[in-house]
Amino acid sequence: MEKRRKENLDRAFKPRVIAVVGDKGSSDYNWLRNMMDATKNGTKLYSVQVDERETPGIQALGITNLKSLREVPEPIDYVLCAVPRKFSPLIVKDCADLKVGALALFTSGFAETHEEMGAQLQDEVVRIAREADLNLIGPNCLGLYNAAAGIRCGGRDQFVGEGGRVSFISSSGTHATSMTLGAYQAGILPAKGVSMGNAVVVDVADWLEYLGQDPQTEIIAMYIEGVRDGRKFFTTLREVAARKPVLIWKGGQTPDGARAATSHTAALAQPMTLWDAMIRQVGAIRVDDIEDVVNTLKALCWVKPPRGPRLGLMTMTGGPSVIFSDACAKQGLTVPPLTEESYQRLSPWFTVVGGSYQNPLDYASSFTSVEVGRQMLDILNEDDNIDGIIQDVGIAMGFRRNAEPDFSEKVLDMIQEFKGQTEKPYMAVMTGSGREREALDFRPRLAQRQIACFATYADAARTMRRLLDYYANKATLAAEGSVLEMT
Amino acid sequence: MDFLKGWAHMTTVSELVGAARAAERAVLTEEESKRLLREAGIPVTETRLAASRRAAQATAKELGFPVVLKLASPDITHKSDVGGVRLSLKSASEVGKAYDEILASAREKAPRARIQGVTVQPMAPPGVEVIAGMSKDPQFGPVLMFGLGGVAVEVLKDVAFRIVPLTRRDAAQMIREIKSYPLLTGFRSIPPVDLKALEEILLRLSELADATPELAEIDLNPIVATQSGAVAVDARVVLEPVKEG
Repeated sequence: MEKRRKENLDRAFKPRVIAVVGDKGSSDYNWLRNMMDATKNGTKLYSVQVDERETPGIQALGITNLKSLREVPEPIDYVLCAVPRKFSPLIVKDCADLKVGALALFTSGFAETHEEMGAQLQDEVVRIAREADLNLIGPNCLGLYNAAAGIRCGGRDQFVGEGGRVSFISSSGTHATSMTLGAYQAGILPAKGVSMGNAVVVDVADWLEYLGQDPQTEIIAMYIEGVRDGRKFFTTLREVAARKPVLIWKGGQTPDGARAATSHTAALAQPMTLWDAMIRQVGAIRVDDIEDVVNTLKALCWVKPPRGPRLGLMTMTGGPSVIFSDACAKQGLTVPPLTEESYQRLSPWFTVVGGSYQNPLDYASSFTSVEVGRQMLDILNEDDNIDGIIQDVGIAMGFRRNAEPDFSEKVLDMIQEFKGQTEKPYMAVMTGSGREREALDFRPRLAQRQIACFATYADAARTMRRLLDYYANKATLAAEGSVLEMT
Repeated sequence: MDFLKGWAHMTTVSELVGAARAAERAVLTEEESKRLLREAGIPVTETRLAASRRAAQATAKELGFPVVLKLASPDITHKSDVGGVRLSLKSASEVGKAYDEILASAREKAPRARIQGVTVQPMAPPGVEVIAGMSKDPQFGPVLMFGLGGVAVEVLKDVAFRIVPLTRRDAAQMIREIKSYPLLTGFRSIPPVDLKALEEILLRLSELADATPELAEIDLNPIVATQSGAVAVDARVVLEPVKEG
């Protein structure tokens, strides 16, 4: 990306002046409200709306309404435009002439319609933008998100404030929103994001390059329906993924899904085999759904890198032990026997009747105190047959609750302390079966302590697999890099 | 054979490409394809054109028996479909008989095809048959494919892909990624094959595709992999259409 275009995107991400074009009362002035928090940081927000019936509603929000972008008395850094598509070339022309930092076209009805007028309009706005070197975002998008700057792309419940270290790129506005909301709810603070829509002028490789260079962004998660210039994308991804974890959630993996993607963002069908090959080649991370995105982010942020697939499982009762082991094996992970020394150390708490300690370690009836729980974790930690630990903490919240009201808090303190001391990856599972409400209350308490907790055994196993593959791939890439440097 | 005049002395990739284009041919013959691949550092079986029965017999003697005879025609890519391949020929008389049969069969099944004669090739040593190829994806450009030969590719689709350019790690991982990989590391009576040699082929293919945008497709099918090497036994190179203007 050229320097000037990058600097203009910098301006748009941290705007001093924002203009929203075409917002309406019928949508509750959602776009203006999305930007209101930016004004707390001193950013100026203008509305441009030619329909005089809208003026009182806009003024009631304390926002100046103008008839044209050209009336804005200062340079504009970011424009969000929601006018009907036939007026969009006029707005793009204004933005080009006014040299705005970036223009996001929320307006849809372009190439994704596969009709002549849509295609012609897209060609026209793209031509105007390219001639003027204007950062045109979309069309058919929700535009930029920057928590620290207070600009939102997806509704007022989207987090703003001091941002985290994870940024998002999305073909879909809904997924852009759900990824930022989902991450935030799971305790991962989002940093920046873009809903890029048809991504014609600023394309997906540009966004990847931009966030790849962004010092605040340490991890990138993307939902993507297709790329136009695959080689540019491949080259950029190879460069960025070598430095930062990149999660790729590919939409349109099947012929039916690809057809839906074509009418959503005019994406071209591409064989998933090639995407998988590319992801492996560059050392990115394939994820398959929104839970996968959020779970993998939690693991990357909070779980230590696994060195191998051998897991020590701490489980609650027999049936779940079996299902948990199956879930791990299905991901190519193993649940091996422990060392003889570990069995000897564990034996005081277990009897032949009621509770196995073969691994999985069924600790349901042996979990008589917080100290015993800690000692069991220590035994797994010191066992040479074990690379990582996953613990079902289901009963931790309920067990002995009546006798010790703050028991669960003590368990969490103990886990947090253990997690801080072990070099092995630690994950928790809290299934909701039959007690979803309690689980929903409990999981955030783990997240506050940066303990990665998953809602199902299958999710925990899949996420451990993602982590294992990522770090193993990274190691082979690094090894090759060092060989290449030597020769 | 006017259409092939001057081909024999051509060695470089760009010369071969240029001459095929000048003759308005998009598909190179097996002999030309192999010459191009050898130039790119990819091991191929020795493949000599013989325009007559007598020449075929003489060439076979030079190469040493057993040999393979294949129909040589710029118009026929799938030689076995017209009865154009004879394997394990052990003497001059077998070669002569095979020559007559191949030409008769080809003239009957493809009467309008231009026929140069046959190619004579030494019989490849026994080994595991694998395939490698390059094709172009509309968005990602040149892409390499690797798989086990025969049924594994056609029915089970047991293949791995990588986008060009490949690193050595990519080549190594690609080979290990197919489900049939255990067959390459020694299985029952099959000895382990030379994986390094296969990696080298993939890396050379990647370099060739990267450096020669005029190539649209490369098929090495099969490559015979043994304990001490790997060699392409059949090959086909297809050129991109010439861009207008």
